[in-house]
Amino acid sequence: MTPMSLLKYSLASLSGNRLRTGLSLVGVMIGVAAVLVLTALGEGARRYVTDQFSSLGTNLLVVLPGKTETSGLVGFGGIPNDLTLLDAQAVARGTRAAERVAPLSMGTEEIEYRARRRQVAIIGTTAEYQPARQLVVEKGEFLPAGDWTRGSPVVVLGQKAAAELFGAESPVGKVIRVGEWRIRVIGVLARQGVKMGLDFDDIAIIPVATGMQMFNRSSLFRILVQTYAHADLEEAKKTVRSILTERHEEEDITVITQDAVLATFSSILRVLTLALAAIAAVSLSVAGIGIMNVMLVSVSERTREIGLLKALGVARGQILAVFLAEAGLISTIGGLLGLSLGWALVQILLQVFPALPARSPTWAVVAAFVTSVAVGLVFGILPARRATKLDPIEALSRR
Amino acid sequence: MTELIVLAFQAVVAHRLRTFLSMIGIAIGVTSVVLLTSIGEGTRLYIVNQFSQFGTNLLAIAPGKAETLGIPGALGGTTHKLTIDDAEAIAKLPRVEATMPICFGTARVEAGNRGRSVFVYGVTPSAPIIWQWGVRVGSYWPSSDPRRRASMAVLGPKLKNELFDDQNPLGKFVRIGGTRFRVVGLMEPKGQLLGFDLDDSAYIPVASALKIFNTDEVNEIDVLFSHSSMVDTVIADIRSLLTERHRGKEDFTITSQAAMLDVFGNVMQVITASVSAIAAISLLVGAIGILTMMWISVGERTHEIGLIRSLGATRRQVQWLFLTEAAIISTLGGLAGLAFGLAVCALLRQAIPGLPIQTPTVYAVAAVVFSLATGIISGVAPANRAAALEPVTALRAE
Repeated sequence: MTPMSLLKYSLASLSGNRLRTGLSLVGVMIGVAAVLVLTALGEGARRYVTDQFSSLGTNLLVVLPGKTETSGLVGFGGIPNDLTLLDAQAVARGTRAAERVAPLSMGTEEIEYRARRRQVAIIGTTAEYQPARQLVVEKGEFLPAGDWTRGSPVVVLGQKAAAELFGAESPVGKVIRVGEWRIRVIGVLARQGVKMGLDFDDIAIIPVATGMQMFNRSSLFRILVQTYAHADLEEAKKTVRSILTERHEEEDITVITQDAVLATFSSILRVLTLALAAIAAVSLSVAGIGIMNVMLVSVSERTREIGLLKALGVARGQILAVFLAEAGLISTIGGLLGLSLGWALVQILLQVFPALPARSPTWAVVAAFVTSVAVGLVFGILPARRATKLDPIEALSRR
Repeated sequence: MTELIVLAFQAVVAHRLRTFLSMIGIAIGVTSVVLLTSIGEGTRLYIVNQFSQFGTNLLAIAPGKAETLGIPGALGGTTHKLTIDDAEAIAKLPRVEATMPICFGTARVEAGNRGRSVFVYGVTPSAPIIWQWGVRVGSYWPSSDPRRRASMAVLGPKLKNELFDDQNPLGKFVRIGGTRFRVVGLMEPKGQLLGFDLDDSAYIPVASALKIFNTDEVNEIDVLFSHSSMVDTVIADIRSLLTERHRGKEDFTITSQAAMLDVFGNVMQVITASVSAIAAISLLVGAIGILTMMWISVGERTHEIGLIRSLGATRRQVQWLFLTEAAIISTLGGLAGLAFGLAVCALLRQAIPGLPIQTPTVYAVAAVVFSLATGIISGVAPANRAAALEPVTALRAE
């Protein structure tokens, strides 16, 4: 038998029992579609997080005050040695690989214009923060460059904070109250969205020295260091650490690269996606058992036909091939249908949640399809072998 | 009724292999549901225990209002401070049993030539009562004004091991952030809480911590209150008192232990439910398998159906016969899956003792009931087909 005629023969017998073939197809289809949709969700989440990180700027080192040898959590609570503006200036001077350095102080405070009030996050920083975090100014300008230690009463508002306070009025040039301070608005940011849990549209950015005075802090919250190239990160990390260790006479700071954080998140989400795909793939094995069952019935129904084939001298291998081809066809067609169903469901998902870049990764598509085909072949072996073992005389004599 | 079940059983037994396979389909689905819900529920209970070990009649007050930043106070400064005075004022409220101002941060703890960077907590001698967490050796410094510094420290067991090995540390001196402290006590082992290793920490008087960290505000005030049913009243009292003390501004956040537990519990339940739903896809596929096999079975037994119909069985009885058969297959499959799932859970618990696994009874029962329902639903179409057969035509069929 040529492969072509084998295929025709199997197709003919499958279409002879449309309902049961259809039901077996549906089983495989559900399994494959589930794998595709779930991996698309997982991969979407991973890409969403990755995009969030890269929108925060690239080649970034973050210096946090405090250090523990016990757990990864730092930056909470107090420290004996402050991370000061002078430290930040020393880092900016001493790190050759650094393109720019931005000191950061942070807190929450109420901002007020006429009768309207709003509690927002306040970021105290310098002009360097804008290019490092890739912020876009819509109206007016960002903080002016100059001496970090000199505070001036100016503020740049996030889109939402400005809209809530001023409505249709133009905020630039107006004076607002930030806590107990009277401060002039010099710019409004374009829409930035929520990045890593901080809503950049609901913030107020002031000069770092003003911020430290306002919050009565002698220590910075963070120092951001942006290097020229990705390759410089490790060297810059070492330099920053040695500069600050020397200044503080002990190592009491933590330096993390944004890439390291991103890599951790990314690998956690990868594992989660894989686990979800595996759980969904269990249904493929159930579908395989269904195929096996149907094929067993098919073999026992066609005992006479098999006997006839054998009596005509058809080799065992060919009979095996006939039944394996049938099982394989069911699972392959089911797999293909599952791929299209899965694709359609992902498209719907994209329509409903446009923010989530859901897309099944190629490995998942290939793996789902290959598994579905393999399932048919593996679970087809038992019934097919049963067919080959039939004794031709007995098989023919059975009604 | 018994007759019906006996008849259905005979049909099930007559096709051992295929009913067995159909059962396995359902069993796999139930097993994965049982396994995943067990892991989910176990994790939930683990987290709940982690929190409730500090007691549930506990409130935490943090500076700042958590409107824009998710974590109040954790991210740097606020203009209005929480102080030791605030803590003492709260302690005078009705139903408040004890309060404790806390100031924490990271610092290096040194003893001899060994040192370790850890979290240092500035607390008061009320800590063992408020956190329900005792001292194993020695004691806290004597109770006195929380505004007074004292050069005495209590160490967590892990920190003690890192600095002193097996030696008795009581009476020895450690340097914390450049200041000398005499070790007066050792805490009981407590383990981790949300990534903070409480055993690898040092505990010193709050006033000394304020000095070391060069600040005059506390990071948190913990409040122990009586009558857990009065939690809302207590929160309202504290809120109005603090707002008044802070010149009419609500610039702090009160979190009750119970509310936090609720949120965590709910999140975990949603996760468990959705993962089980994904596992239940296997049940759906298994149901389709039963439907297929029952359909084939009706076709094969047309002759038999004709016979029992002509012997006086009603359509309804034939319908019930096939429904019962489908239900038996799926229920047995479900029970087998449950047994297998529980066995795997027991094995896992043996193999990895730390793994939190707890099978929720509700889910276990639900899985079996669900598999029974699955069988009945997938049996409906074949049963109707059988019932619709005309006895005469059916008898003629081979």
